[in-house]
Amino acid sequence: MAKLVLPAGLLVLLLLGGPMLLMLRYSFNVFDPLFLMKQAFTFENYARAVADPYYQKILTTTILVALACTALTTLLAYGPAYWLARMESRWKSKLTILTMFPLLVGGVVRSAGYLALLSTDGLVNAALRGAGIIAEPLQLLYTPGAVIFATVGIVLPYMILTLASVIESIPRQVEEAAANLGARPGRSFFRVLMPLSLPGVLAGATLVFILCMNAYATPLLLGGPQFQMMAPAVYEQFARASNWPFGAALAFLLLIVTVILTSLGSSVIARRYRAG
Amino acid sequence: MTRLSRRAFLASATAASAAGLLCTPAIAQSSDIVVGTWGGTFGDLLKANVDEAILEPAGWSILQEVSGPVPRRTKLITERMQRRGSMDAALLADFDMHAAAKVGALEELGEETVPGYGNILPFLRKSHSVPLIYSAHAIVYRKDLIPTPPASVAELWNPAYKGRIGLSDFLYTSNMAYAAIANGGTLSDFEGAETGVQAWRELDAKLLPSTEAVGQALASGDIWLTVISAARGYSWRKGGIDLGWVIPEEGAFPAVYEAAVPKNARNAEGGMAYMSALLDPAAQAAFAAKMGYLPTVSNGSIPPELEAEIGFTEAERNRLWQPDLDFIMENQAAMLDAWNRILKG
Repeated sequence: MAKLVLPAGLLVLLLLGGPMLLMLRYSFNVFDPLFLMKQAFTFENYARAVADPYYQKILTTTILVALACTALTTLLAYGPAYWLARMESRWKSKLTILTMFPLLVGGVVRSAGYLALLSTDGLVNAALRGAGIIAEPLQLLYTPGAVIFATVGIVLPYMILTLASVIESIPRQVEEAAANLGARPGRSFFRVLMPLSLPGVLAGATLVFILCMNAYATPLLLGGPQFQMMAPAVYEQFARASNWPFGAALAFLLLIVTVILTSLGSSVIARRYRAG
Repeated sequence: MTRLSRRAFLASATAASAAGLLCTPAIAQSSDIVVGTWGGTFGDLLKANVDEAILEPAGWSILQEVSGPVPRRTKLITERMQRRGSMDAALLADFDMHAAAKVGALEELGEETVPGYGNILPFLRKSHSVPLIYSAHAIVYRKDLIPTPPASVAELWNPAYKGRIGLSDFLYTSNMAYAAIANGGTLSDFEGAETGVQAWRELDAKLLPSTEAVGQALASGDIWLTVISAARGYSWRKGGIDLGWVIPEEGAFPAVYEAAVPKNARNAEGGMAYMSALLDPAAQAAFAAKMGYLPTVSNGSIPPELEAEIGFTEAERNRLWQPDLDFIMENQAAMLDAWNRILKG
């Protein structure tokens, strides 16, 4: 059995573990404007990343956007996921593929589409002006709302598919039993279906939260330069400031915070699930 | 018939691939020139007017390695200790090239190694790089919205333009140079630059993420004036935006793009041939006509009507600043940090 894991394990070790170890080492080095990096072993970069109010604000924005996107995605995905899971028609497989369709278009291309949609002279403003609803164009682009809207659009299929597969495994009879015992649909949902589907919500939310915490193209293209999230900030240190040690420290800070929040969220929901 | 076992097959395939890899440098040395450059219109112009027009007929084969300027500079600096680098020619803005020259990553150039080197305009001549095009980061403005040309750098802080001043995030160095000059600093200390950037923030200056975004904002009237290369102003004016540009009375930040040969180039001879081709008057004229950048050689000429559009008068050329490239190199990361904190914090 161990042999079966070996190729994938080696690949992960080589392509993920190796570069991450290298980055971890870089994060303890010191930036040098001339030679870019000097060998050292200092926690200075981490101290700066944690203590600097500028980066604290970026991290807070990232967490809030990720939480907002995760909550919105969960709310929006539950209905379609339930519908898809309980569907018995021959369209089911086609609709499942259709749900995955947005994933075939890369994040950058999709964000470019949103640019055309949300810009001052974009489709939304043109339609609103055409309908006489507004006189002056609305500032839709380069706002937190644009980032959240576009990010939800990107991660929604992950949540729908994860939830649908879990709801599918819940026997239909338990809902029928609840109805037989007099539970209204709302009560049946909150007391029966919701608790039973919590593992799916948890898995989907974890996946979506991680994707949102690490979002790069969407905040960069739709948030504009004044809207700061962690992944673009990490890239900026590498690609614009050439400050690899600090960029690496920021990347590990993002990783650590994501792991902590994900584990915390999982354990809280799991405890609640067990208690329920 | 001898059967090839799986192991024997894998061993031979690995050996063949390894042999192929080992042969690569030899092939590269013969006729391939790997050029680290920008892509897009810039890369296309190089391909049409330098690669295909000059070097390929002479037997060279050009491979463009497209990337952003900072990764390219990083490569030059980090690869300098290796026996063989990944590029035979690298193109960068003058301040990025200066950093690579400073760490000793670049080959020395001269009239003996680069034919045409003697034609370089004296104020652009350097020992480790050749200039391929130049312009200036001027004040570019909407002529229909600002009838009086903004003749002084102070106009960039004119309260009448509150909410209509555009700042290219990409050009933070030039923008901070303007801010320093407007606030009593020099290009060797950038003193007062942060005060100027703070004042921009108070004037609701619009920070734009890319050069294209600046063009769109000028076109839509979202911004009325900005600091960007006069060459860009020319391109956009050709595209139908009513633009003018000014080299302010206090001067302007030059925009010089250079090329160099890394010391560890696999094909140094090819790299030198590339330098020479870049200085070819026909190639330089093509950059002027398409992108609005000026020739950097004395034997390069452009049509008088184009010269009238994109050229600088002698007085304007004399007003172009001579940036302290050592200072910029030492402080660029700190400048970016201050720029970000004030405008994005």
